[in-house]
Amino acid sequence: MLDSSAKILVVDDFSTMRRILKNMLKQLGYENTDEAEDGNQALNKIKSGSYDFIVTDWNMPNLDGLELCKAVRADAATKDIPILFVTAEAQKENVVTAVQAGASNYIVKPFTAEVLKEKMEKIFG
Amino acid sequence: MDEMQEIIQDFIIETKELIENLDQDLVALEKIGTDEDSKELLNSIFRAAHTIKGASGFLGFTQLVDTCHKTENLLNKLRHGEKEVTPVVMDVILDAVDIIKILLSKVENKDEDEYPLEEILAKLDDILEAKEDVQPEKAPPVMDKKEEEITSPQEPEEQVVQKKEVKGDKTIRIDTDRLDDVMNLVGELVLERNRLLRIVKGLEEKYEDDDDVLPLSENGARMDLLTTDLQMAVMKTRMQPVKKVFSKFPRMVRDFARSSGKEIELQMEGEETELDKSVIEEIGDPMVHLIRNSVDHGIEPPDEREKNGKSRQGRVTLSAYHEGDNIVIEIEDDGRGIDSEKIKLKAVEKGLIGKPEAELMSKKEALNLIFAPGFSTAEKVTDISGRGVGMDVVKTNISNLNGIVDIESEIGKGSRFILKLPLTVAIIDALMVGVGEEIFAMPLASVIETIRVAKGEIKTISDKEVISLRDGVLSLVRLSNEFDIETSEDLDRLYVVVIGLAEKRVGVIVERLYGQEEVVIKPLGDYLSNIDGVSGATVTGDGKVVLILDISILIQKQIDAKSLMTNSIL
Repeated sequence: MLDSSAKILVVDDFSTMRRILKNMLKQLGYENTDEAEDGNQALNKIKSGSYDFIVTDWNMPNLDGLELCKAVRADAATKDIPILFVTAEAQKENVVTAVQAGASNYIVKPFTAEVLKEKMEKIFG
Repeated sequence: MDEMQEIIQDFIIETKELIENLDQDLVALEKIGTDEDSKELLNSIFRAAHTIKGASGFLGFTQLVDTCHKTENLLNKLRHGEKEVTPVVMDVILDAVDIIKILLSKVENKDEDEYPLEEILAKLDDILEAKEDVQPEKAPPVMDKKEEEITSPQEPEEQVVQKKEVKGDKTIRIDTDRLDDVMNLVGELVLERNRLLRIVKGLEEKYEDDDDVLPLSENGARMDLLTTDLQMAVMKTRMQPVKKVFSKFPRMVRDFARSSGKEIELQMEGEETELDKSVIEEIGDPMVHLIRNSVDHGIEPPDEREKNGKSRQGRVTLSAYHEGDNIVIEIEDDGRGIDSEKIKLKAVEKGLIGKPEAELMSKKEALNLIFAPGFSTAEKVTDISGRGVGMDVVKTNISNLNGIVDIESEIGKGSRFILKLPLTVAIIDALMVGVGEEIFAMPLASVIETIRVAKGEIKTISDKEVISLRDGVLSLVRLSNEFDIETSEDLDRLYVVVIGLAEKRVGVIVERLYGQEEVVIKPLGDYLSNIDGVSGATVTGDGKVVLILDISILIQKQIDAKSLMTNSIL
């Protein structure tokens, strides 16, 4: 499982959602979290800091989760960072697209900290 | 649990912001209709509904989830061209947004009762399942689209750019109570500063040559500067763009136009102009009144406009700009204008003014009658029916903010309401005046000029005191009479402070002028709040409690007295 000191980036355009996600991660013992409000901001942060895990929303202005994912995978320095997609029920069919773009896994809104933990266990073994 | 409450608070604030933008975007969308240009707009509208739904799901607000979900589905169809943007579709979407607002306010008020959603969900379903769907494959031919792109690509692009600029990175959210606390503390600091300066000045005079006094003076001067800077800085933290108020009007005007069959375009300028939060909170209602008045009574029905050689579509323009220490907000329409003669007739009919007075009134004075209390329009007077409903409330609201409201109008061309507001309500510049033993503060914004007069210059015309000032006659009030103050002595020389509200001018007779001082307005307690002519209190540099005069009431009293007088002549 991911070490509790791991640096995690939470990407969502809605600050309440970022807070909810950070709060859940905290419940799971991860306090070293950072946030970005869209793909562009996330990408800048990812390039300059060393993140161990990215949790991103799909639908965001400027640069959406899918584009973010592709950009992260395209850069040799960041291509191995695990990315978890937070998606809505309606986008469930699109997860194939996300996985093709390099998503490590996806999680459907709304979810509990328990479910998040399971997803992370799947990613980090 | 606490953390949860905080998250819910955040959710409420953030969702409110989203909804504010949503209203505006939706009205803009209806204007553009479904074409290539509306894509970005539709995406952002869709995203808002989607975002609210997502967060609501986590927080367990199932009613919000349900409403947002259906709305989102409909928006998705619009986004993919499977539905067209028609007024009927927009009505339903706007209704849904209204329900979302209601549900959000229920969350805010911790009201856990279920809200009946059947109606709105059924409406959304009806539209979603309606047969007249536009077939995607039957989209307009490519050629047409290209033409459109050539002719109108500008506007929506600009909108997109603006959107991006608004999103800042360096902001934090602060509970407004905390800002209020800071503002109050700065207010107290200003009072103490005034007091300190007064003490320093006294010491300077007393110990002119003392070496210890000089550094104290210097220090006092620096404190003075710093306090002023601090006050400005704190004021800035409380400033919000007037857009916050303006943003709800496109929806309001749109709904009105839909229901009345009028065609109205709302233009807005200077939305980025900033005003103190408390002013922003207070100007919403008066503006609603004025805009409603403009669209309801100003703008003519399309046919009538056409007949008079105007465009079928009427226009209402809101603009905001700085003018010195004031913010000016204008509400202008290109409607039928207000007939000042009819206003006069009506005012006479209502017994607000006498006939002779009406004849002497300038057009401007006559127009301002619509702000007089009692100028309601229960009876129909074709052209001006409804004008004046709530207008006195508008004036009171604006006066409470130490602002003034003015009106200009030309028959057949339109009307313009002008609101002048101070940047902040908490601290104002005031002229300190004295009568007998008492000192009063008069808001400097309402002071036009001060004149020194000899006792003999004050004339009495039918029991009223006046002086001739340049070309005109100025009616006077004695502050000593207003507040039953015993005047110390019979002075030969007095001061007249000319105060003005819109076009009205009244001279206030006082015995002494102390000069200008920055005063912090403190509300009077509940048991004192109904005193006519006093709007608040403050503490001066020497620690005295001083009452702040309510200029609008002083002027109003004078007008009332005048009309009473004219009536009695009749």
